[in-house]
Amino acid sequence: MVVNSLPAVKKTLTGRGISPGRCKGLALVSTKPLSFLGGVDYNSGVVIEKDHDLNGQPIKDKVLCFPSGHGSTVGSYVLYSLAKKGCGPKAIVNQVADTVMVVGAIIAEIPMVDQIDINKIATGDAVEVDGDKGTVKILR
Amino acid sequence: MLDGEYGWANQIAMKILAKLGDLFGATKLIPVQSAHLSGVSYKHMGDGAIKFLDEMASKGGKAQTRATLNPSSFDPEYLVKRYSKERFEKQTRILELYGKMMIQPTLTCTPYYIQEPKAGQHLAWAESSAVIYANSVLNAWTNREGSPSALAAALIGKTPNYGMHQAENRKPNVLVKVEAELKTEADYGALGIHLGKLLKDKTPAFHGLRGSDDELKQLSAAMASSGMTALFHRTATGEQRDLETISVEPSDIKKAASNLCKAHQMPDLVFLGCPHCSTSEVKQIASLLKQTKVRKDVELWVCTSRHVSEKAKTHIEVIERAGGHVLCDTCVLVSWIKDLGFNTIITNSAKTAFYAPTLNEVDVDLKPLSRCIQVACHQ
Repeated sequence: MVVNSLPAVKKTLTGRGISPGRCKGLALVSTKPLSFLGGVDYNSGVVIEKDHDLNGQPIKDKVLCFPSGHGSTVGSYVLYSLAKKGCGPKAIVNQVADTVMVVGAIIAEIPMVDQIDINKIATGDAVEVDGDKGTVKILR
Repeated sequence: MLDGEYGWANQIAMKILAKLGDLFGATKLIPVQSAHLSGVSYKHMGDGAIKFLDEMASKGGKAQTRATLNPSSFDPEYLVKRYSKERFEKQTRILELYGKMMIQPTLTCTPYYIQEPKAGQHLAWAESSAVIYANSVLNAWTNREGSPSALAAALIGKTPNYGMHQAENRKPNVLVKVEAELKTEADYGALGIHLGKLLKDKTPAFHGLRGSDDELKQLSAAMASSGMTALFHRTATGEQRDLETISVEPSDIKKAASNLCKAHQMPDLVFLGCPHCSTSEVKQIASLLKQTKVRKDVELWVCTSRHVSEKAKTHIEVIERAGGHVLCDTCVLVSWIKDLGFNTIITNSAKTAFYAPTLNEVDVDLKPLSRCIQVACHQ
C-alpha cells in the first residue's frame, strides 16, 4: 500500500499572516531590503538593484525571503504586474512587513507572512508558506 | 465587504485598509473628508499600474468621498506635442481609468488651493509635500499614504485611525532652534532638506519659525523629500522647551544649499512651481516679468494647477507675453525632461533640487525665485 503523505516537516517557523493562501516552493533568501520599483526588472522578475545580494537572480516561482521592502509605494504595482505576467514569487516571507510589500502582496494575491527569522531559512530549502496561519514550514 | 459582496475592487480596497490598520495598531476605520492620490504620471507608474487600475475600475471601483489626483506627465497644450504617441496613449489611459472611478482630474500636488481642508478634518492624502503642509500649516489630520492606500481610502471613503489620526501621535518629540536667518524660500527649502535627513519621522516643534505660507510650503516639500516627517509645529509651547533640542546653524543651511547646487553649466530650463505655484507666486513672477522678456536660449516653465491658473488669468497672460510657458497639470519631476534635451535646470524648489538629479538625470541649481527670473531674462 502506498501512503500519499505530506512531506515531513523539519522545522516550523511561526510569524504573522499578512496575505492569505498556502503554497510550496523553493526559498530564495536575501539579507538585504528590496525595493520593487527600480530594484526588480518589471518584465522578467530578475533582481536588478545594484549591490544587492540577489542581483541577477529571477524571483519567479520562488518563496522570496528578505528582511523588508522599501522605496516607492509604486513598488506594490510592480509586484502586482509581475504576478499577472507569471514572473512573480510564489510567496513572500519578511522579517518586518512594510506598507509597500503588504499592499503589493494583497493586490497581487500572493501569500505573505512576516515576523519570521529569515536567517533560519536557506536558499534552496523546500518550504511551505501558510498566509492564513502565518507559518513557514521548512520541509525535509 | 471583506468577503467581496460589493465587488472585487472594494474587497481589495478593504483588505488593504484592514491590513494596514492591523499592522499599525488601528482600532477602527474612520471617514475621510477627502483622498488625494499619487500615482498618476505614466513616467513613474509604468504598465503594471495601468493593469491594476484597469481591474479596479472595471470591477466596481467608485470613489465614496471627494478624491483628487496628483500631476500627470504632460500638460494638454505644450508638452503633449513633444512626447511619443505611446506615452500619450498610456497617460491618457491612466486618466480615463481614474475618471471611471469618479476621481477628479485635478492633476495638482497642491489640492489645498482648490479646497482648503479645515482644521481637525481627517484626510487620506498621498502626496508627501501636501501631507506635511496639510498637517502643519492647515492643521488637518492625515498620514503619509502611498499610492494604493490612498486609492483604497477613496473607494471606501475611510482610513484606519493610526498615526497622525490620533492626537497623542501628533505631539512634538523634538525641539528645533533655527539660529540662521532665513532670507528666501530657497533658504526654507535648504532648511527642510537638512532637517528631513536629521529628523527622519520625528515630529519637530520650532522655536519661533516665521515664514509665509509659500515659504512654509517649500520647507514642507523639502522635509518630506529627504525624510519621513508628516508634521511640524510652527511654535513650541512652554512645556515643550524641555524636549531634546536640535540647533540649526547658518553653516548647516549653507552646506545643505551648496549640496543642492550641482550645476556645471548655464541652465537651459528655469523651473518654478514645485510644489505647484500659488496665486501669490504666479503674481510675483508676473510682476518680475512685466518689463522684460525670456531669453531665446532658455525656457521658463511656471507649473501650477488649472484652478490657480484660471484664478490668476491676467498674471498668466503677462508671463506668457514675456515668453514664459505656464504649464498646468504637470511638473518637471513627473515629466521626461531629459528627452526634451534639457540638461541643467535652475529652480527655487529644494524638493526638485533634491530629486531631479536622480529622477530626471539633470544637474540642478537652487536659487530664490527672483534670481531664477533674472537668469531667465538676463541678456
